[in-house]
Amino acid sequence: MNVGILRRLPRAALTCALVACLNAACWSIVTPPFQVPDEPDHFAYVKQLAETGRLPSSDSEQTSSEELDVLRALHYGRVRQQPQTRAIATRAEQDELERALASTPRVVGSAAAGVAQPQPPLYYALEAIPYRLAQSGTVLDRLALMRLVSCLFAGITALFVFLFIRETLPGTPWAWTVGGLSIALAPLLGLMSGAVNPDALLFAVSAAVFFCLARAFRRGLSPRRAAAIGAITAIGLVTKLNFIGLVPGIVLGLLVLTIRAARASGRSAFAALALALGIAFSPVMLYAAINALSGHAPLGIVPAGASQSLHHALAEIDYIWQLYLPRLPGTVGDFPGLSSTRQIWFDGYVGLYGWLDTPFPGWVDGLALIPAAAIALLCGRALFLGRSALRSRAAELAVYAAICLGLMVLIGITSYRSFPARSAEYGQVRYLLPLVAVLGAALALAARGAGRRWGPAAGALIVVVFLGQDVLSQLQVVARYYG
Amino acid sequence: MGLALLSLAIGLAMLRAPMSVAGTNKVAGQPEELLTGTSRSASYCQAHETLPRGSTAIRIWLDAIYGPRVSVLVTSDGRMIASGQRGAGWTGGSVTVPVRPLSQTVSGVVVCASFRLRDETIVVQGNTAPAASSAYDGGEAIGGRMWIEYLKPGELSWASLIPTVVRHMGFGRAAAGSWVVFLALALVACIAILTARLVSRELP
Repeated sequence: MNVGILRRLPRAALTCALVACLNAACWSIVTPPFQVPDEPDHFAYVKQLAETGRLPSSDSEQTSSEELDVLRALHYGRVRQQPQTRAIATRAEQDELERALASTPRVVGSAAAGVAQPQPPLYYALEAIPYRLAQSGTVLDRLALMRLVSCLFAGITALFVFLFIRETLPGTPWAWTVGGLSIALAPLLGLMSGAVNPDALLFAVSAAVFFCLARAFRRGLSPRRAAAIGAITAIGLVTKLNFIGLVPGIVLGLLVLTIRAARASGRSAFAALALALGIAFSPVMLYAAINALSGHAPLGIVPAGASQSLHHALAEIDYIWQLYLPRLPGTVGDFPGLSSTRQIWFDGYVGLYGWLDTPFPGWVDGLALIPAAAIALLCGRALFLGRSALRSRAAELAVYAAICLGLMVLIGITSYRSFPARSAEYGQVRYLLPLVAVLGAALALAARGAGRRWGPAAGALIVVVFLGQDVLSQLQVVARYYG
Repeated sequence: MGLALLSLAIGLAMLRAPMSVAGTNKVAGQPEELLTGTSRSASYCQAHETLPRGSTAIRIWLDAIYGPRVSVLVTSDGRMIASGQRGAGWTGGSVTVPVRPLSQTVSGVVVCASFRLRDETIVVQGNTAPAASSAYDGGEAIGGRMWIEYLKPGELSWASLIPTVVRHMGFGRAAAGSWVVFLALALVACIAILTARLVSRELP
């Protein structure tokens, strides 16, 4: 992004981006090393790529001895998912850690990268830069610098959320700030972007896709915009496999935009579509070819999930439904005694940090229903008042809905693979954060739903609620690990 | 005003005391063992426990991804002296169930943790023990004693624990030292200032 583009961006958008970066940096300090889902595996992937130039070849969690020694000295296994166990807290434990950091022999690469192994390499390749810069330091030095690079992606996410809202709600400039700033302060975005995890880049790329689609819906599908959508889709596909869930919706969006453009400009619209699809899928073809040549599944876990889904189609559809919504009459409950909507997704969003082992007390989740209901009501009011405008933008909204649905179905399919041994293994809110642009727009809409007179005040209140949630969440994490 | 309310909420939270362990059957330094796992409804009971005075919660070392509703019943000579429930949806290596505190310590109690389960796997953690002293499910020993901790509010508030927390936060990092706490505070202050300025400028 050159200086000219930066200058054209609203100052409020840049401030939102800065707040998101600072927030993620704060989370990276508050959260102990490796106490974020899968961080040891992602670190191992970067180590392998940075030191050998090759992709990891094993999904074993027995990563390099260099990393495992540090994990042991950090009491990683005892702290992870044991909320009653604190992080290391004495001088003697710190001395032991420093001895481990100083004495552990350097091991080149890590062929094993646990759950990170099947993931595409873009995020890890970017993280290889800070890894190499801190190569002379300890494992913790490298991790700290890599976490800081991840924080930048939080800023990009907030920036694109702001720009997405600007495109979708062009008539209410103050509402752009409500959505952009609230997302910048979202604690889960801070937690994940303050760690070494490809989710950080995935959120940014997904927000960029929403922005590009919204821009094309508002201004038409030019070859340049088509190329941008294609390029961002390509980046998403080589960032994390979960992005595949967004692809059907993006392709639908391109088709709708092409049909619209064809009415005005004829066949050249189809050239733009071909350009977008060509750019979008060329890296995937290359990646699949490399995977196939090296003996891996071409697209990692996705084909396995698809083949299972065909086998148990009805049960799987029912499971996916129940993963998000109350079960339908006449169906068997897959989550007995558990309200998935409330307990997995809502409570999980209100606060579940660390290795999903640091929740708020139960009453906080109950209290959070009040602002959530108020936001939902205001959002509903705004949609009702703007129903005529909604009708004219039905195709655009259908595209956003298809993107959301695609990701939710992918999470459901992946989760179903470990069912029933594990009821909802992928029932984690972070997997829905690629849809954070939609949440930002909903918050902006809610503020607008309070009316012209009260809208800005309601918007300010929404921002304060998110700031409060963020600060209290960090205090909860501090209490859990250092209390 | 919003920021003032937030500061007030933080202040009130700091006046509260964190939970502390009033009693436990865990042996210090001994790692937990996986005693048994189940995918069906169960009621694990363990005798020879001591329920300390003032305990407001009982933590049982059950492991689940999304755990079911758990009921805890404490009996002494066959009479119920404490009970509590924790709703479904808990996650991690232990479940904490709130109970009404007693005015005196009671020894020789039986603690039962019950849940209804269909598919999810629950793992019981603790230490192996002879069948005679082992926890049991339906009269059948599970091969060891599950870890149980009895919690009550500590004597010191979070505010008075700040120096300890600051010292702990300085450990286990790339560059160890309490300075990281002040860096985090500075970042939070920057975030609050930027947010307040942006809100006052854009949302008049």
